[in-house]
Amino acid sequence: MIEWLAETWRNIGVPALEWLVETWFKFGLPALEWLAGNWLKIAVPVLVFIATYVIGLWLRRILSNAFDRWQLRTKWEGSRLVIAAVRRPFLSWFLLLGISIAVQISALPAEAKMITVKAAGSLFVLSLGWTVIVLSERLLRIYLPRIKASRPTIALVISAVRITFIIIGALIVLDIWGIPTTPLLLLIVVVVLGAALVLRNAAPDLFAGFQIGATQQIKEGDYIKLETGEEGYVVEMNWNNTRIKTLGESFTVVPNSRLLQRTVINYGRPLKKAKEPFHFYSRTHITELTGLKARNLQELVDTLKKVPDAVVYYHTHRFLEQHHYLTPEPSNDFAVWISDALGDEILGERLASVDTFQFPDLGALRSRLVGIIEEYLTAHRDTKGATPAETLYFMKSVREAMAGEEFYFMKSVSVILPTTYVVSDLREFVETLRRISLGSLYFHIFESRLRLGKGLNDFSVWIRDTLEETGLAEEIGRLDPYTYTLEGLRLALIQLIEKRIK
Amino acid sequence: MVPLMGQLGVDARWDIIKGNDPFFGVTKKFHNALHGRQEKITARDFELFMVTTRQNIAELELSGDMIFIHDPQPAGLISRKKEIGKKWVWRCHIDLSHPNPEVWDFLQPFVVEYDAAVFSAPAFSRELPIRQFLVSPSIDPLSDKNRELPREMIDTVLAKYGIPDDKPIITQVSRFDYLKDPVGVIQAYELVKRSIDCRLVFAGGTASDDPESDQVLAEVRERAGSNSDIHVLLVPPGSDVDINALQRASTVIVQKSHREGFGLTVTEALWKAKPVVASAVGGIPLQVKNKFTGLCSHGIEGTAYAIRQLLTNPGYAKWLGENGREHIRYNFLITRHIRDYLLLCLALDHEGDVIYL
Repeated sequence: MIEWLAETWRNIGVPALEWLVETWFKFGLPALEWLAGNWLKIAVPVLVFIATYVIGLWLRRILSNAFDRWQLRTKWEGSRLVIAAVRRPFLSWFLLLGISIAVQISALPAEAKMITVKAAGSLFVLSLGWTVIVLSERLLRIYLPRIKASRPTIALVISAVRITFIIIGALIVLDIWGIPTTPLLLLIVVVVLGAALVLRNAAPDLFAGFQIGATQQIKEGDYIKLETGEEGYVVEMNWNNTRIKTLGESFTVVPNSRLLQRTVINYGRPLKKAKEPFHFYSRTHITELTGLKARNLQELVDTLKKVPDAVVYYHTHRFLEQHHYLTPEPSNDFAVWISDALGDEILGERLASVDTFQFPDLGALRSRLVGIIEEYLTAHRDTKGATPAETLYFMKSVREAMAGEEFYFMKSVSVILPTTYVVSDLREFVETLRRISLGSLYFHIFESRLRLGKGLNDFSVWIRDTLEETGLAEEIGRLDPYTYTLEGLRLALIQLIEKRIK
Repeated sequence: MVPLMGQLGVDARWDIIKGNDPFFGVTKKFHNALHGRQEKITARDFELFMVTTRQNIAELELSGDMIFIHDPQPAGLISRKKEIGKKWVWRCHIDLSHPNPEVWDFLQPFVVEYDAAVFSAPAFSRELPIRQFLVSPSIDPLSDKNRELPREMIDTVLAKYGIPDDKPIITQVSRFDYLKDPVGVIQAYELVKRSIDCRLVFAGGTASDDPESDQVLAEVRERAGSNSDIHVLLVPPGSDVDINALQRASTVIVQKSHREGFGLTVTEALWKAKPVVASAVGGIPLQVKNKFTGLCSHGIEGTAYAIRQLLTNPGYAKWLGENGREHIRYNFLITRHIRDYLLLCLALDHEGDVIYL
């Protein structure tokens, strides 16, 4: 072991010691001599550097306390953000300041001094820039929502601020290093002008977006209607346009500037949503001839008893469809034919006064019509012992229509087709009601109730069952549609619903 | 119709049958006989009809999902239904309510082979073992006969025919035909004239295939005599703008026919929002609902009374005229006609009275 140690000492230890002694005489001693002659040149910059750093620490404390007092006095919520953002880089800035001053007063060559100062200056600019960016971003995130700016708008403003400070920082750094910034400035001006030119149409939308957000005139979820016809719920508002879900289940994108330039009706927040949406259908029809005809009352009633329901429906609703613009509308075909072709206005009036609205289905309506005619025929069966007036009734009851004026039995073949209108609340419903065809209105109010045997119109059923608006459903159900023109009926329905949702 | 169908995406095409003069002579006789007129039809006529029909069956290239055959002349083409299949519809434009039995018995076997028949008015139909539909004719509101005209143009037409615009004008537009009762119109006018100063315009043409028309015109002129307030106008064919202007210049429009097809002159008058007095014949009752869209009359006195009512009550006349225009707008314009044809296609493809699409 001892031998191994002696061996190692000879091989490594001795040469190392020799190298140390040699190096000391070669470098250490001259350096010590240099330090003895120049220690002041080093000590002063180091002391200045340390002093600057200490001043920084002290200043940070003073400023922090002053800021705290000011914050307590003003209760400005942004002060905490300012302190958090500045606290850490503040010491770095004094570190950089200390380095700069120390280097300036040191004995380093002028060129090294200049490079060091420029580097420190650049680092300071970058650090300050970054701090300003972080701080402004945090402040914007507090204050932009206060003026109801939308999320996309906030993101856009923050990006703009960030880009602006980065450009300013970059320009200052370039200036520090003596690189000419004029071409770069020119380039930036050209780019900005180009962007302005390209976005000149978007600018009004951007500002309109700010204004709408600030004034809160329109918010996401509102139901709006533009004078140009677009309408629906606002589903999204971004920096340049607003997306509206229209009644036809599609979306319309409206530039923000149009929302300010045009008259917009804002109906406010969505109403209660239905459990199931209402699908509007429309209906049209073609007339089918049965080939059957009646010349007198007996033939009329005999045929009326055996024809299909579609015939009864046709002759009690034809006037309504063909003359829906008339008030008062003529009554059913049977009444009109008996008055005009048979000249029996008394029976005609009796049939005309049958209130179709009171019958839940076509079978009941047919029975009532047949009953009235048969009762009349029975009452005026013969002239035996009859008064002159009764004899006249008898004559009328057996009168035959002139050739060509017979009663022709017809029926309607309905074709029911879906529309694109689907609604989920009363606002959408009433706005759709304004624009559906008369065929659609007719189908849901008349055909669905009587011909399809639902006993109640489709609107009332939906409002009652899926919106649970029983009162409104009953009000609509009570409305006698046979006493209105179709346009008048549309208006009456709209008024009832508008009253409810006001 | 065909261009409008094309715009809707329906590939609609017309085909025309060929025939010689004797064939069309026979079909003219058929036409009159089906309308109820007495015609002498021989076995030779039926034979000629069948020969031409067979030629057309062989030559015509019939195709399509729905084949409409118009009127009796080509009715025999139905023989190709077995070979082609598809849906066949017989579109009848004439009044079949009182046909000559001999001609009807000859045509009926063809007619019942169709999937459906289409008539212009309920009164034109008869009991048939096939489905029958009502498709009324229509007018094109943008055609020369019906479009809006500037006042200057109406004045120009009145000046052209020498009609001063100084008093109410009563007008009937129709062929010079006894069935249109032109003399009855003059008599009704004379009754009105006793109490109300007005003019009568009887405007119409003569039909080349109607030898009676010249005679009727002569009688009308004779009946009018030298009365300068009665204007009997022989309007040449193709004078649609003139007819339009005369109708628009009128205060009341009359259609006092004994028999009538659908009565498109009434449709035209109603479309111009004119108060109409018309006989309840043919397709007129479909258009004139008494006291709602016009007034119906049966005799000369009744016609005169109705005209007086309208001339002395301009508010009532205006209300009737406006109702009449709305009635035509919703029920007798070409758009409704196209819709009916499309619905007919649907009705033949679906069972039942209520079709859900």
